[in-house]
Amino acid sequence: MIKIKAKDVDVFYGKKQALFNISLDIEENQVTALIGPSGCGKSTFLRCLNRMNDVIDICSVKGEILINDFNINDKGCDVVRLREKIGMVFQKPNPFPKTLYENVSYGPTIHGIAQSKQEMDEIVETSLKKAALWEEVKDRLHEPGTGLSGGQQQRLCIARAISVSPEVILMDEPCSALDPIATAQIEELIDGLKKEHTIIIVTHSMAQAARVSQNTGFFHLGQLIEHGSTDKIFKNPDNKKTQDYITGRFG
Amino acid sequence: MSEAAHTVKSYEEELKNLNANIIKMGSACEEALGKAIQAITTRNSDFAEAVIKDDEKIDKYEALVEQQVVNLIALRQPMAIDLRETVTALKMSSDLERIGDLAKNISKRTLLLNENLPKNLVDSLIRVSSNVQKQLKSTLDAYLERSAPMAVNVWESDEQIDDLTNLCMQEVIKYLKENEKNLEDGTHLLFVTKNIERIGDHTTNIAEQIFYLVKGEYLEGDRPKGTEPIVTGEK
Repeated sequence: MIKIKAKDVDVFYGKKQALFNISLDIEENQVTALIGPSGCGKSTFLRCLNRMNDVIDICSVKGEILINDFNINDKGCDVVRLREKIGMVFQKPNPFPKTLYENVSYGPTIHGIAQSKQEMDEIVETSLKKAALWEEVKDRLHEPGTGLSGGQQQRLCIARAISVSPEVILMDEPCSALDPIATAQIEELIDGLKKEHTIIIVTHSMAQAARVSQNTGFFHLGQLIEHGSTDKIFKNPDNKKTQDYITGRFG
Repeated sequence: MSEAAHTVKSYEEELKNLNANIIKMGSACEEALGKAIQAITTRNSDFAEAVIKDDEKIDKYEALVEQQVVNLIALRQPMAIDLRETVTALKMSSDLERIGDLAKNISKRTLLLNENLPKNLVDSLIRVSSNVQKQLKSTLDAYLERSAPMAVNVWESDEQIDDLTNLCMQEVIKYLKENEKNLEDGTHLLFVTKNIERIGDHTTNIAEQIFYLVKGEYLEGDRPKGTEPIVTGEK
């Protein structure tokens, strides 16, 4: 099943074109990795999927991005609702300077998801459990989120993202600031999360893309060079540029 | 290799080195097979002894290639064409090592054979073995050229070797039947013939690996086979 369908997407920063005619289908309940050298447009593309580029004044997006067959670039699209459906996790763990509990309950609160304190407690507990953090923090839910280790903070951010039950989770280099153990925990988490969510991850680590994703897209100079099953991309890519990039032959 | 160079030069060197060792190992096998055949057909014991002694070199290449492959996988995590180069090198080294062993076995039997073998048997052996030698050479050329069509050619010509092997086997059986005294020589010759045919099979394996290396996909379909073997019952 195709969850997201990007059709002929162009992105401009002022006069400079950052993405050229990107058409890409993202499968539901799968992990799609976006790889490519710095500045290739992969994060720009990721930000198109929850209209994060709106916050950059000079940025303009053309083309269609259909999520559940609805074009999110339509004027009628409610961006707040969109971002409830499309969660995001960033490179550097960025918990709010609030308690662990408040970090996770923030989303459900502003979207009016929980009807009672008890319901909110349940959402917080379930989200932390899904983010594999519950056992480590259940006795200190009212301590500041910033007091956790880097890996725990990132899992807290994932718990915060999934607290509103998004359909899609966007991850922009979620492990680049983490050690290998924390990275493995996040990767294990990603594997579990794909049962309920569609995940798109931007990563500079080829090995990580190979480990966590089922599909991979390779971006270069604002173009989508190749997109296919991760297995195919890493064993026998069709495009020479893809091969040169993943084998470390880019000059 | 026609690929552009890696950004990391030491990685590039390691892959080149692996490739060079396979080529050296392949030439060592070619030489061993050539000498083994010459030894048996011209009754040259010096050649036979050289093949037996030099098999050690081929074994060492196999160990070296295996070590290099393990290091590459552990330390470089090769991808795409590099991954296929690495995996193919490992598999090829194992087939080449077997070719070396079979050549050695032919030579060991050569030393036990009577000095005067009937000419028709020698001619028959030469027919099969020259085909197998050609096949091994073409396989190594296909590897050097990274040529899928050349690999397919080798793969398809295995059939002919099977047929020639069977003809040779038939002649050896006839020779066995002629006289009880022929029993020892005849038995050795059966094994020698079978060994030559097995070398052909290993080159076909290598040809399949080269196809995978170049194309990234497996050669489809059943391997072409000649007439069913009469003597051994297995293939």
